[in-house]
Amino acid sequence: MTQVLRCDHLWKAFGDLQAVADISFTIDRGETYGLLGPNGAGKTTSISMVAGLLPPDAGEVFVAGERMHPRATTAKAAVGLVPQEVAIYPDLSARENLRFFGRLYALPQKELDARIDAVLEVIGLTDRASDRAGEYSGGMKRRLNIGIGLLHEPELLILDEPTVGVDPQSRNAILESVESLATDGLAVLYTTHYMEEAERLCDRIAIVDKGRMAAEGTRRELVATIGEQDLVRLDVAGDAPQAAAAIRQLDDLGSVDVEDQAVVCLLDGAAQRLPRLLGAVAEIGVAVMGVEVREPDLEDVFLHLTGAALRD
Amino acid sequence: MRAALTILGKDLRLRSRDRSMLLFAVVVPLGLTVLFSFVFPDTEDLELTAGVVDEDGGEVASAFVDGVLPALVDDGLLTLVDVDDAKDARRQVEDGELDATWIVPEGFSGAVAAGETAELEVLVAAGAGIAGEVARGVADGFVTELEQITLAVAVDAQARGGAPSPERIEALAAASQQRSDVIAVEDLVTGGEDQLDNISYLAAGMASFFVFFVVGTGVIGMLEERSQGTMPRLLAAPIPPGAIQLGKSLGSLIVGLASMAVLAVASSLLLGADWGHPAGVAMLISALVLAAMGVMALVGTFARTVEQAENFQSIVAIILGLFGGAFFPIPGEGWLIEVATAASPHGWFLQGLSELVASGELAAVLPATVAILVVAVVTAVPAVVLQRRGLA
Repeated sequence: MTQVLRCDHLWKAFGDLQAVADISFTIDRGETYGLLGPNGAGKTTSISMVAGLLPPDAGEVFVAGERMHPRATTAKAAVGLVPQEVAIYPDLSARENLRFFGRLYALPQKELDARIDAVLEVIGLTDRASDRAGEYSGGMKRRLNIGIGLLHEPELLILDEPTVGVDPQSRNAILESVESLATDGLAVLYTTHYMEEAERLCDRIAIVDKGRMAAEGTRRELVATIGEQDLVRLDVAGDAPQAAAAIRQLDDLGSVDVEDQAVVCLLDGAAQRLPRLLGAVAEIGVAVMGVEVREPDLEDVFLHLTGAALRD
Repeated sequence: MRAALTILGKDLRLRSRDRSMLLFAVVVPLGLTVLFSFVFPDTEDLELTAGVVDEDGGEVASAFVDGVLPALVDDGLLTLVDVDDAKDARRQVEDGELDATWIVPEGFSGAVAAGETAELEVLVAAGAGIAGEVARGVADGFVTELEQITLAVAVDAQARGGAPSPERIEALAAASQQRSDVIAVEDLVTGGEDQLDNISYLAAGMASFFVFFVVGTGVIGMLEERSQGTMPRLLAAPIPPGAIQLGKSLGSLIVGLASMAVLAVASSLLLGADWGHPAGVAMLISALVLAAMGVMALVGTFARTVEQAENFQSIVAIILGLFGGAFFPIPGEGWLIEVATAASPHGWFLQGLSELVASGELAAVLPATVAILVVAVVTAVPAVVLQRRGLA
């Protein structure tokens, strides 16, 4: 596999805030790599350094073998950036937006015209290509936002939370587009705080929290860090922390955490041990309103690794 | 340069679709010029009908009645109407038959000779408007001149060690009579020593005022790119960060120059304004647009949002415009006003045009052009440095 992106020990601070601390990862051609973490985890700062918008305080980024920095035109030409905020000119049409950004990437006129038509087809805006972008729906603007990032056929496409604020139909269309791009051989760096998107799209995932990389691997590898344990979730009506404390008194439990009005436990042989858990909670007078037993997912991995829920 | 031109092309396309830009650049300044030309009529259109009552009969009073006023009559600015006495004059003013009446009170000449305060009364009709202001100005100008001459005589007397002789008083009156040109009515309307006619002054003033707003939008373009989220995309493109700054500055320069040029041509063709020799006008306009860009860019660096920047820019543009005399001439009294006026590119621009029209020589615009360019450099350099920090 051809390595398209390499990040070596990236550090970035803003004043006293350490936004990114020692983050390293690589992405190969045709691979979709996810940065999964809550808002403020350092995902956008990381991709800003990858895209050459910010210089790292320490560490290096290489794109297609070229060192990336704010003045690195060769490395930047290999990157397509889709910012989290819709980055288009509302008073220009889709075609004019694409033409402007295409010219910044120095695409020859003939090639540019052909690429604009192709991208308009991919993002489904051919019929509305001459309309002002300001008149588009939110989903259409998002699609144009992605189309601009694809226009110059980059080797690495960076998508920063591309589905935030998007209706379910448009979100599904965006996810399908990303899947097909990776199939076409594009390297994709995808940031999200939606666990299900990371699970669906990404070949490998880095879990990021408070600027640090807590874990990295495929979905299977990450879930395996919890072990072969089951996840038991008890929704309680009373004092959840007190219920969690009562459960912790029991032996051989992997982890016990509180999530809103629920106690979340990881343990082996959940079906056999569930009555003991319920008994411990009943003993302190806390009512159990619901019980869920299932295999853990990335959300649970995140909770296990950081002690906080992704949506926090 | 290719990237800068691409950004310039995009900005010009966007601005050509912004109707408010056309309003600020051409329609409003031209409209206000027409409107103000009615409010502040040209001296050629002034008609002051007034009377004068000489209750003093002395030499100094005679200097005013027989020296200053006939000169204004000869210039066609004043129609002097006979009045019997102060009572008759007051009645005619109250009835609106006269715009104003000057009354030289008894003892006026004696007071002047004694170095005491002398008051020349002016009665102004309620609806006299600018004519009334001219009447007051004529009186003020004469009294001010008298005070200067009186001071000179007093100094002279002090030096000679005695009170002024009748001969000295006679000389004082003669001097006053000879200086009947001290009151230039043009000064009261357009102010100072400029030679621009009223419509030219107003057109140039409005153009210089609004060009600050026209270029202001462009020089905070990077703030606008940030607010609409497109700046990360520009910075991620394989172009030098300086190209963004250059492209946006070129856009402001072109729009500013076009706005001023259109206003100069339109006011000349439609309103008969005379801006002077085109080459001199071009020099002044170029310098002014650069200064406007520098000032507005610097002001914009202190803002965090586009709205904040526009508010800051509006305040600065209005203050500089007012002190520079873009709307009406500001009398240069007080060091603070003098400093503010000297710092205003508008003031230098109007002065440069006045000197260009008066002399007809290109060299006449050089001092004003240099002064405006100094403002441009002093503001643009820190603005560029601060903007570049924002791009890093």
